[in-house]
Amino acid sequence: MSAWIIANIAPIMFAGLIVFLLLGFPVSFALAALGLSFGLLGIHFGLLNEALFQALPERIFGIMSNDTLLAVPFFTFMGLILERSGMAEDLLDTIGQLFGPVRGGLAYAVVFVGALLAATTGVVAASVISMGLISLPIMLRYGYDRRLASGVIAASGTLAQIIPPSLVLIVLADQLGRSVGDMYAGAIFPGLVLTALYALFVLGVTLAYPQAAPALPPEARPLRGWKLARRVVFVLIPPLALIFLVLGTIFIGVATPTEGGAMGATGALILALINRRLTWSLLRQAMNSTAKLTTFVVFILVGSTVFSLTFRGVNGDLWIEHLLTSLPGGQVGFLIVVNVLTFLLAFFLDFFELAFIIVPLLGPVAEKLGVDLIWFGVLLGVNMQTSFMHPPFGYALFYLRSVAPDTQYTDKITRKPTAPVTTGQIYWGAVPFVVIQVIMVGIVIVFPGLVTGNIERSTVDPSKVKIELPTESPEEQRDETAPPDFGQPPGGGGQKSEQAPADDLQKQFGGK
Amino acid sequence: MQALLALSRGIDAVNEHLGRLVYWCVLIMVLVSAGNATSRYALNLASNAWLELQWYLFAVVFLLCSGYTLLHNEHIRIDVVSSHLSRRTQVWIDVFGLVFFLLPMSVFIMWLSWPVFMNAWTSGEISGSAGGLIRWPVRLLVPLGFFVLSAQGISELIKRIAYLRGLIPDPVEKHKDPGLDVVLDVEQAAKREAKS
Repeated sequence: MSAWIIANIAPIMFAGLIVFLLLGFPVSFALAALGLSFGLLGIHFGLLNEALFQALPERIFGIMSNDTLLAVPFFTFMGLILERSGMAEDLLDTIGQLFGPVRGGLAYAVVFVGALLAATTGVVAASVISMGLISLPIMLRYGYDRRLASGVIAASGTLAQIIPPSLVLIVLADQLGRSVGDMYAGAIFPGLVLTALYALFVLGVTLAYPQAAPALPPEARPLRGWKLARRVVFVLIPPLALIFLVLGTIFIGVATPTEGGAMGATGALILALINRRLTWSLLRQAMNSTAKLTTFVVFILVGSTVFSLTFRGVNGDLWIEHLLTSLPGGQVGFLIVVNVLTFLLAFFLDFFELAFIIVPLLGPVAEKLGVDLIWFGVLLGVNMQTSFMHPPFGYALFYLRSVAPDTQYTDKITRKPTAPVTTGQIYWGAVPFVVIQVIMVGIVIVFPGLVTGNIERSTVDPSKVKIELPTESPEEQRDETAPPDFGQPPGGGGQKSEQAPADDLQKQFGGK
Repeated sequence: MQALLALSRGIDAVNEHLGRLVYWCVLIMVLVSAGNATSRYALNLASNAWLELQWYLFAVVFLLCSGYTLLHNEHIRIDVVSSHLSRRTQVWIDVFGLVFFLLPMSVFIMWLSWPVFMNAWTSGEISGSAGGLIRWPVRLLVPLGFFVLSAQGISELIKRIAYLRGLIPDPVEKHKDPGLDVVLDVEQAAKREAKS
C-alpha cells in the first residue's frame, strides 16, 4: 500500500485537489491544508526533505513583497470608485444616441462602450451592471431581441478581461514570469479584434433578422447635430483621460503597471469628486470591498504556494510535464489540449483558481515546447474570458440577471406592459458570444503575430524601473536558492501572482 | 457553550474592528503609490522607503484582514457541488474544513514564521536597498495575520457547532454585507426611476 502511494503520490495529490476543492470549503485553506498534509506524508515516506516547510515563510514573504500583486487592490479600488463616477451612464446615454439611427445601433454602442470601459479599468461587473441597468431597458423598449440584448451586454462587459489594463493579464504575466507591459502590448490587438468580432456578429444579426435590433425612433434621440457632437466629445474626455493615466503612463514608462493602477485609482477619485459623487460611505464601502477582495485573492495564492511547494517536491510538476509533452502533435497538440481543458474548467472554476492552480503547471511545459509565453498568456486570457459567460455559472450572466427585469413591468415611456427577461434568454444570448470567443482562440493560435508582432516596441518594461532599483537583496538571494517554481516568474518563486481580476471582486459584492 | 459563544462574539468584535481600521490602508496605498510615480517622474525623486511602504501596507491589508474576510464569509469557495447540498450539510463541511484544514494550516504557518520574525527582530534586519525600511514589522505580520485567522477560525467553529445544535440562527447570514453593487444598484435604479 505505502509503496503504491509513494509511486503515485503526485497523481493522488492532484485527485485530492479536485475532491477538496469541490467540497466547497474556501479554496485557499483547502489548498494549503492539502499541501501541508501531503508534505508531511511525503516527509514520513522519506520522499521529501524534512526542511521542506522551512522555505514557507520566505515564500509568503515573497508574496507580500510582490510589486505586481499590489495592482490588485489598486485596480479593484479604481473600478469601484469609477462605478460611482457616472462615467458609464454618460457614455451609454450619449453613444447610444450617436449610434441610435442605425439598425442595431444600441448594440454597437454597448460593444463600443464596453471596450472603452475595459480600456479604462479591469472590472467586468461594473460594465455589465451599468449597461444592464441603462441599455437593457431601452433595448427592450424598442423591441430588441432579448437574447441579443442580454448576450451583447454580458459579452461586452467581459472585454475588460482581455483589453489592457486587465487584471487578468497582470496575473497571467506574473504567473508566467513575463513582464506586464509585454502582456499588455500583446493583448491589445486580440482585444480589438474580439471587439470587432462582436460588432460583426451584431451586423450579421441585423442583416439576417432586421427586426431583432431595430433603429431607435427619433423621439428616443433628443440630441441631434451639434449638440450631440459636443456631448460626444465632452463625454469622451473622462475615459480618455483615465486611459492615459493608466495605460499611457505605463507605456511611456512613467509608471509601473502597479503605479498605473494607483494613478488610475487617484484619477477615479478625482473624477468622482468632480461629479460630486464621492461620499464617505462610498469611500468606506470601496475600501472595505477592496480589502476583502485583496485578502481572498492573496490567500488563494498563499494556498497554492503551499500546495505547489509540496507538489513540486514530489515531482508532480514532472508528472504533469510528462503527461502534456507526450501528447501527439507537439506544440499544436499541446495548445489544443490545454485550451480545451481550460475551456471546460472555466465552466466551474473562475479566473483566480485557473490562474493560480492551472497556469503554474502549464507554463513550464509551454516554455519547454518552445511556446512564446506572452502568446500563451494572451491565448489563455481570451479563453478564460469565457468563464464569465458560460451558462450557468458565468459571473457576467449573474450580474446581468441581478439587474435585468425578472417580472413583467410597464415601460415608462411607451406605457406598454413589457415581459421580463428570462434566465433562459440570458443563457442563450451568451452562447453565440462563447462561440465567438472560441473562434478568437483559434485565430490567436493560427496567427501568433497578432500578439507577438506588437511586442518588440514595448519590451522596455516599465516595471523593470522599479525592480532594478536596489531593492531587497535578501529576498533576491532567497529566490535564487529556492527551487524554481512552477511557472513562476523569475523574480519570485511560486508565490506571487494572483490577483483577482477586479471583476471577480465585484462578483464578491454582487454575488454573495 | 454560552461561554464559548461569548468568546466567539469577542473574537468577531475584535476582527470586525481590526478590519474596519485596516481597510484604510487601501486608500493610503493608492495615494503613496501614485505619489511615488509622480515624484519619480516630475521631480526625479525616488525613495526606497516609500516604495517599500507600498507593499508593507499591502501586506498589512491582506494579512490583518484575513480574519475579517473569514468573518464575512468572503474567502472564495467553489460551490458547484455544495450549492446543491442542504444547509446543514454545508455547515458540516465547514466544521470539517475548519478543524482539518484551516486551523492546523494557520497554526502551522504561525509556528513556522515566528522564528523568522524573532530572527529579524534580534538581528535588526534591514531592507537590502539603500534607505530601505526595517524588516521586523512585516516579518511580524505573518504570524500575526495567521493568528487573527486562527482566532476567527475558532469563532466560526463555535458558531457552526452552536448552529448545528440549534442554539443560534445561521451565522453566515448575520455577517453578510450588502455588497457595494447591491447598494449601488438600488441607488441607480431609484435614480433612473426618478429621471423617467
